[in-house]
Amino acid sequence: MGDIVDSMLDLMRRMPPPQTEENVATLIDICPDYADDLLGSVDQPLRLMTDRATGRDYLACDYNRDGDSYRSPWSNEYDPPLDDGTVPSPRLRKLEITANEAFDTYREMYYEGGVSSVYLWDLEEGGFAGVVLFKKTMTAGSALEPSGSWDSIHVFETVERGRAAHYKLTSTIMLHLVSHRESDGDTDGKPGFQDSEKKTGQDRKRVGEINISGSMTRQTEQDFPLQDSSSHIVNTGRLIEDIEFKMRGLLREVYFGKTHDITHDLRSVDDLERARRQRDLQKELAGFIKR
Amino acid sequence: MDSAERIAAASKFLLQSPPGEINDVLNDVRNIISDDESLQDGVRPALRDYNLQQFMTVNVPGTNHQSIISDAARLPSSAEGEPVERYLDPRSKTSFVFDHLSLEASEPQEVEPDGESEPFRTALEASTLQYLVAHYEAGVACAFSTPDSPQRFVIQIVSNKYNPANYWSGRWRSEYVIDFNENTIEGKILVNVHYYEQGNVQLATTHNISTKIPPAVSLSSPNPSANKLLATIEHEEALYQKSLDDSYEEMAEKTFKGLRRVLPLTRQKIDWDKLLGYKLGAEIASSKGGFSAGS
Repeated sequence: MGDIVDSMLDLMRRMPPPQTEENVATLIDICPDYADDLLGSVDQPLRLMTDRATGRDYLACDYNRDGDSYRSPWSNEYDPPLDDGTVPSPRLRKLEITANEAFDTYREMYYEGGVSSVYLWDLEEGGFAGVVLFKKTMTAGSALEPSGSWDSIHVFETVERGRAAHYKLTSTIMLHLVSHRESDGDTDGKPGFQDSEKKTGQDRKRVGEINISGSMTRQTEQDFPLQDSSSHIVNTGRLIEDIEFKMRGLLREVYFGKTHDITHDLRSVDDLERARRQRDLQKELAGFIKR
Repeated sequence: MDSAERIAAASKFLLQSPPGEINDVLNDVRNIISDDESLQDGVRPALRDYNLQQFMTVNVPGTNHQSIISDAARLPSSAEGEPVERYLDPRSKTSFVFDHLSLEASEPQEVEPDGESEPFRTALEASTLQYLVAHYEAGVACAFSTPDSPQRFVIQIVSNKYNPANYWSGRWRSEYVIDFNENTIEGKILVNVHYYEQGNVQLATTHNISTKIPPAVSLSSPNPSANKLLATIEHEEALYQKSLDDSYEEMAEKTFKGLRRVLPLTRQKIDWDKLLGYKLGAEIASSKGGFSAGS
């Protein structure tokens, strides 16, 4: 039982991230019984929806879904409309409205564009949980400009303990970057390329695509003081700001450092044979000096 | 889903396996499908396709080197009575049967090379292997002639690095089809990297090169011509790695920075009390009475 879900999650950690949606759909076709487990544990790109009442964009994911409808954080309405869709308790909805305003300001300050949404829900055992979402897409201005998208999903749970609250946060950031390249001739003008070959340069054509995509997940837990219910927004705000700062650094390291280094491990730009010969020569010299 | 659809789904997953992780994917798929009997034979075509596409490497029986499993290495199915596919290692002039699941070669046989193309192929192989040791620490390369057209040669290179202890794996594949009839070199380079420590990040690149065969390269002068061809390949691959580095920089500087700032314009983290106080001051004041004044 649980074994199958584990295998599905392990499989999804290996499949190419650009095909996540398609592969999740296939897994659900194979094992419809595990659809909820899968949708609840595999993060998929956030979908952009427009609130019919306010005209504002919001983000759709498994946390604001009821059946085939999604709830807007702005109007609290489901689309397609539902008469009995799940909504937060009035007290929590009030906090949700404030949280959406606060994180919308955060979005503007860090993302300078994009869309944010916050959804809260009551927990049966007391306390509440929520998800804070950000999405920004950059489309290429021209065919050869890179494009990309960023999806942040921060799921938290909080339990109040007197004048403090304990927070458990799971953050996933999905980042997709695509770049197309095209060149003719010997654009680089590398030295050592003979003249006779240069003449044929006009006949050279190179076309390529680079795709770096994926997601990283981190979990944190922390206690914060609690003054009133709006403290929850201050506390989760600090927690999320902190983890996004750290994860942005981590993504930068993995996307532009790690994958780059591995590529250079696969093929060395420098001549390895020359380096080997140099090392041998040095050894020989060292031996000679000792003598 | 019926059995055939399950096999098709399993095959689709297998073909998407990152470098060096086909066994992990196969184990997951076996557990998910839970029908080993039909899966065992059903996924064989997918495993074969995967090995051919990914330039799987194999220890050649009776030698100390590896060769590449690919379409170029596949021998045309000979006379009847030989239904089992055979693959060629042109370097040792050995053909063998390849098990696509265990990745092992067996039943080696000596192969008589084609007299017309072999001198050029041998020269190409020597230059390729020389190039290989210069730029690939863990590379395998083959130079093939093509059975139907003695004027056409295929160079294939594959370099794998698997590091499961540090949650990453990578594969570089390049292929150059040198066709003297068309006077062209058609090349392609494919790089795949999987990084999966607390996440799943994959680099996938494609790169196609079309160019003419350099002047003074001809079938009648195998050694100098092979050297020139490999110089062209070395130049193109160096250029490609440089352009990859440029793309990285562009994506880091333009796209990544444009998606999310490190810090807001103010260059400091948000003052949440102030942000909430500013936004909610009025509301809190009216509901809680005086709370916002002091804090």
